[in-house]
Amino acid sequence: MKKEDFVNELADYCEFGKDGLSLNTPLKDIEGYDSLAVMSMIAFIDENFSQKFTALQIKDLSDFNSIIKLIGEEQFNND
Amino acid sequence: MGTKIIAIKSFLPDLLVTNEELSQEFGKWEPEKIENKLGIKQRHISSDVQTAGDLAYGAAEKILADYDRSKVDMLILCTQSPDYFLPTTACVLQSRLGLKNEIAAFDFNLGCSGYIYGLAIAKSFINSGMANVVLLITSETYSKHIHPKDLANKTIFGDGATATILEHSTDEKILNFVLGTDGRGKDNLIVRNGGFRHPFDSKAEEVITESNDIYTDNHLFMNGPEIFNFTIEAVPIAVDQCLNKNNLTMEEIDFVIFHQANKFMIDYLRKKIKIPSEKFYANMLYTGNTVSSTIPIALEDALINKQIKTGDKVLLCGFGVGYSWGATIVIV
Repeated sequence: MKKEDFVNELADYCEFGKDGLSLNTPLKDIEGYDSLAVMSMIAFIDENFSQKFTALQIKDLSDFNSIIKLIGEEQFNND
Repeated sequence: MGTKIIAIKSFLPDLLVTNEELSQEFGKWEPEKIENKLGIKQRHISSDVQTAGDLAYGAAEKILADYDRSKVDMLILCTQSPDYFLPTTACVLQSRLGLKNEIAAFDFNLGCSGYIYGLAIAKSFINSGMANVVLLITSETYSKHIHPKDLANKTIFGDGATATILEHSTDEKILNFVLGTDGRGKDNLIVRNGGFRHPFDSKAEEVITESNDIYTDNHLFMNGPEIFNFTIEAVPIAVDQCLNKNNLTMEEIDFVIFHQANKFMIDYLRKKIKIPSEKFYANMLYTGNTVSSTIPIALEDALINKQIKTGDKVLLCGFGVGYSWGATIVIV
């Protein structure tokens, strides 16, 4: 998966508006990034990457790049 | 020698909290967002003077209206919001219901797995010959544990009670169980203060969560992400183990009822376990998450609405606070 596609697919899954979202968009600035969205994000990452983030890891997430870093850069195409 | 479910009745308090009211009070989530994501439109809430014992009494009286109460020789009550530290709420209820004195009565403290454990206890007592008729009650008033400014938990949880009568049967209608526990998860769903480890603290500090919900250690705290992680790990395994233990496949199961935690969570579990949607129960629209009562409420509803019929094999799975989980298959 390309990183940009990841942003779009995760945004879709979590029901964020996709306008203006980029890898560097701060999660706290996204309208709708709340406890319900976090539940969706956990499901998305379990479904697509078979990984689990702890609550502490989620608390430390800053932007989409930080999510990718936690999943593992090797899981993404960088081209 | 076996055990069968004879009847199930639920009892919900009259007070209602709608999504519109929560939306208006907190100005955060639109009513439609709550309904779409969590599958909840309203929840019933106990009044200030209404206890779990009162809701339990309501459910028991409903079921005993059509059943000879003198036949009941065991009363077990699942609650985490008992009327007193002591005596046990079941003892108070025995007298209030006018049940005979030659009866075993006790509470057990479990949350969302409680109904499965209640079935296991009832089956054990009946199949061992220590009881013939068990009245199993689930009753919760979690609303009393929740901080008034905790939107997330106020949105999810509702109060309610159920009563189930189980009898001795020549054929076994309650099949084998899978029961599990992982106490390492205790801090992720907890009312920390109020027992003797951490007494109630009238000056407990208010904590503001990432989502701007407020709680204190006197109130219910739920670590949503960790509970979700636990659920998506434990439930698929429990379902698989339950099928294996009963030498059945999912194809041979007529209907599946999970603890109705919230719509998103159980929909995700359904997809992960690959359960066809037509044989999966998902309805907490008018009750919310009533903890140990969600499974019997769903069973009662599915029977009334003919989603299940006599002879169907229904897989039940409860999971939550503890952590604690359990699964079994009942033939209705």
